[in-house]
Amino acid sequence: MSFVVPIGPQHPALEEPEHFRIEVKGEEIVDVDIRLGYVHRGIEEALSKRTYMHGLFLAQRVCGICPVSHSLSFLRAVEEVAGIECPDRARYIRTIGAELERIHSHLLFAGIAAHEIGFTTLFMLFWRDRELVLDLREMLWGNRVHSSETTIGGVRWDIRPNQVPKVLRNLAVLEKEVKHYIDVVASDRTILARCANVGVLTKQMARELCAVGPTARASGVDWDLRRDDPYAAYGEVPFKVITERDGDVLAKILVRLREVLESIRIIRRALDAMPSGPLRAEFKGRVQEGEATGRVEANRGELLYYIFSKGGEKPERVRIRTPTYANIPTVKPMLVGGTIAEVPIVLASIDPCFSCTDRITVVDRSTGKTQAMTKAELRGLHR
Amino acid sequence: MIEILNFLLAYFVFPGLLFASVFGLLFMGIDRKVTAHMQHRIGPPVWQEFLDFGKLLGKEDITPAAAQGVVFTLMPLLALGAAIAIMLLLPINSAQPALTAVADLIVIIYLLNIPAICIMLGGYSSACPFGAVGASRYVVQLFSYELIFIVAALTAAFKVGSLSLGDIVVYQAQNGWLAFKAPLAAAAMLVAAQGKLLRVPFDIPEAESEIVHGPLTEYSGPKLGLMRLAYGIELFAVAGLVTVLFFGGPVAHTIAGVQIPGVVSFLIKTFAIVLLTTNIRNIAARLRIDQAMKFFWTIIALLAIVNLIIVVL
Repeated sequence: MSFVVPIGPQHPALEEPEHFRIEVKGEEIVDVDIRLGYVHRGIEEALSKRTYMHGLFLAQRVCGICPVSHSLSFLRAVEEVAGIECPDRARYIRTIGAELERIHSHLLFAGIAAHEIGFTTLFMLFWRDRELVLDLREMLWGNRVHSSETTIGGVRWDIRPNQVPKVLRNLAVLEKEVKHYIDVVASDRTILARCANVGVLTKQMARELCAVGPTARASGVDWDLRRDDPYAAYGEVPFKVITERDGDVLAKILVRLREVLESIRIIRRALDAMPSGPLRAEFKGRVQEGEATGRVEANRGELLYYIFSKGGEKPERVRIRTPTYANIPTVKPMLVGGTIAEVPIVLASIDPCFSCTDRITVVDRSTGKTQAMTKAELRGLHR
Repeated sequence: MIEILNFLLAYFVFPGLLFASVFGLLFMGIDRKVTAHMQHRIGPPVWQEFLDFGKLLGKEDITPAAAQGVVFTLMPLLALGAAIAIMLLLPINSAQPALTAVADLIVIIYLLNIPAICIMLGGYSSACPFGAVGASRYVVQLFSYELIFIVAALTAAFKVGSLSLGDIVVYQAQNGWLAFKAPLAAAAMLVAAQGKLLRVPFDIPEAESEIVHGPLTEYSGPKLGLMRLAYGIELFAVAGLVTVLFFGGPVAHTIAGVQIPGVVSFLIKTFAIVLLTTNIRNIAARLRIDQAMKFFWTIIALLAIVNLIIVVL
C-alpha cells in the first residue's frame, strides 16, 4: 500500500512555499507530483507597466539571491534593443559583481545542503565564510545582496584602488577555507553515505530534460554561457568550466564548491586587467521598436529575458525564464526509487529558487478559488 | 510512615524529579551552548532550557482533533514518570541507589525503553504523517541500538558476576574501571547511547529537514514541555547508567581533609559523557535509517559481542 507524504507548501526543508506530493511505499518513493505557483507575484506584467529604468530594479527583485544575474540578463536584452554599448570598465565591474554573487550563492547552497543532511556545524561554517563575500559587496556597493550596482548602459559605482587590497585579502581567506571544505565534503564518511550515488541525474537525462547550470555540469554536460555566449567581460578573462561526471548530489555540491574557486580566480584576473575609462554610456529613456533576448549564466544556470518593444519608455512584453524552472523536470527522475530521507537533499541539490519560478496561477473570480492548471486543461484553453 | 516519606522525598527531590530535572535541563543547556561555540555562534544562555520549559508550561494545551486524545495526552506523563523511576534505581551518591533491593539492571533496561515507546505511541496517535513516519523510523532505530545496549550492559554484569548496579560500583572501586577491562563494550555502549538519545548521526526519527519533528510534530505547549523534560532526564539517566557500568560510578573522595560526596564525581563523569555525545553530534551528518541499522548490526554489534565472548570465556 502506498500513501502520500506532502512536502510543502509549508515544510522545513523548503525555504519557499511549493508543493511536492511524494507517493511512498514504506520509505521508498514510487511517484512524485510537483505543483508550482504558490509565490506567483505577477512580475512579468508589472515589468511591462514600468519604464526600463524602474524595470531594472524590479527585475533585480525577482530573486533574493541572484539580483545581479537578473539585472545583467535584463540589461543584455534592453541594451540590445536600445543599441547601447556598455563601456569597458563597466563590463569588468559587472563581471566582478556577478562573480561575487556566484560565490555567495554557491556557499549559501552548500550550507543548505549540509543542513538538509543534518550536518549543522558545516552549515554554520559555510555561512560564516559567506559573510566574507557579503562584506565585500557591502563595502563596494553599499548593500550585501541587493546592491543595484548596475544601470542601463553601465554601472553606478566604480571600484576604487584603495578597495582592492581588502577584496584580495578576503578572497585569499575564502580560497583557503573553500579548499578545506572540498576536502571535507569529498572525504567525510557520513557526508559520503548521504550524498554519493543519491539523486543521480545521468548525462543523457540531463540533456533530454534540458537541465541547466551546475545541475547539468554536475552530470558532465560541458555547457556554460559565460564561455559559450560571453557577456560582460567573460570573453576577455580566461577561466575553466567546471564539470563533474557522476551526477549525484555529491557531484552537485563539489561542482559548486569548485566553481567558487574558479570565481575567485576570475575576480583576481578581472581586477588585474580592468581598463580605466568611463562608467556608463548615456541612456535617454526611450527605446526604438524591436525585440531582444538576453541570457546569462546565473548562479543556478541559464537565465533568459525576452523583451518586446513597440518603441517608447516601456516594454510591451517581458518574458523571464529562470534556471529553476528549467531544472524542475529533473527532480522527478532524481527522486523516484529513492527514500523519503533523500527528498530534502535531492530537492536542495538543484538549488531551487521558487520565487523566480512561479508563473501561472489561475484565479476563478466567481468563487475566489485559486488553482494550478494541468497540461490537459492548458491544451483545452489553447483550442 | 518514615518509609513512605523517604520514598516521596526520593521521588520528588533527590535523586528524583527536582534533582534530575535541574541537572537534565542544565546538561541540555550546556549541550546547546557547546554546540553553538563549535558552530561559531554565540548560542543561548545555559539556563535557556529552564526558560523554554517554563514558557511551554504556560502555553495553551492543544490536542489535535484527529488524534487519539487519551494516548496522546498520557504519553508525555508516562515518559516523564519512567525517566524519574530510572533515577531512583541508579547509584548516584553511593553504591546504594535510592530504592534498594527492589530492582536490578534488567529493570533499568526495561525502564529506559519506556520513554522511547511513549514517543513512538505519541507519534502514531497524533494522526500526522510525519508523526507516523517518525515513529516507524524510531521502531527500526530501537531494534538497531537496543541489542548492542543490552549486550554491552550484560558484558559489565558478567565481568562482575552480578546484575546489581551496587555490586558493579563496589567491584569497580576495588578493581578499577570496567572501561579498561572491557573497552570494546564501553565503546559500543557509547555509540548505542548516541542512538538511544537520538543524536546526530542517529537523529533519524526526528530529522527536522525531512519529517519536521517526527513523532513530536503535533506536540505543543505543556505536553511538549513534559516531553522535553523527560528527554532531559533520559539524557542524564543514560549518561549516568554508562558512568555506573563502565566508569566507576559515584566515588567519594577526601581532598585536603574535606569529604567530597560521591554525587560530585558522578556528576562530573556524567557531564563528560554528555559532552562526548555533544561532540559527536557536531562533527557528523545524519545517516539514513537503513545505513544506521547496517552500521549498528555489523560493526558495533561485532564489537559488543566479541567483548561479551571474551568476558564469558
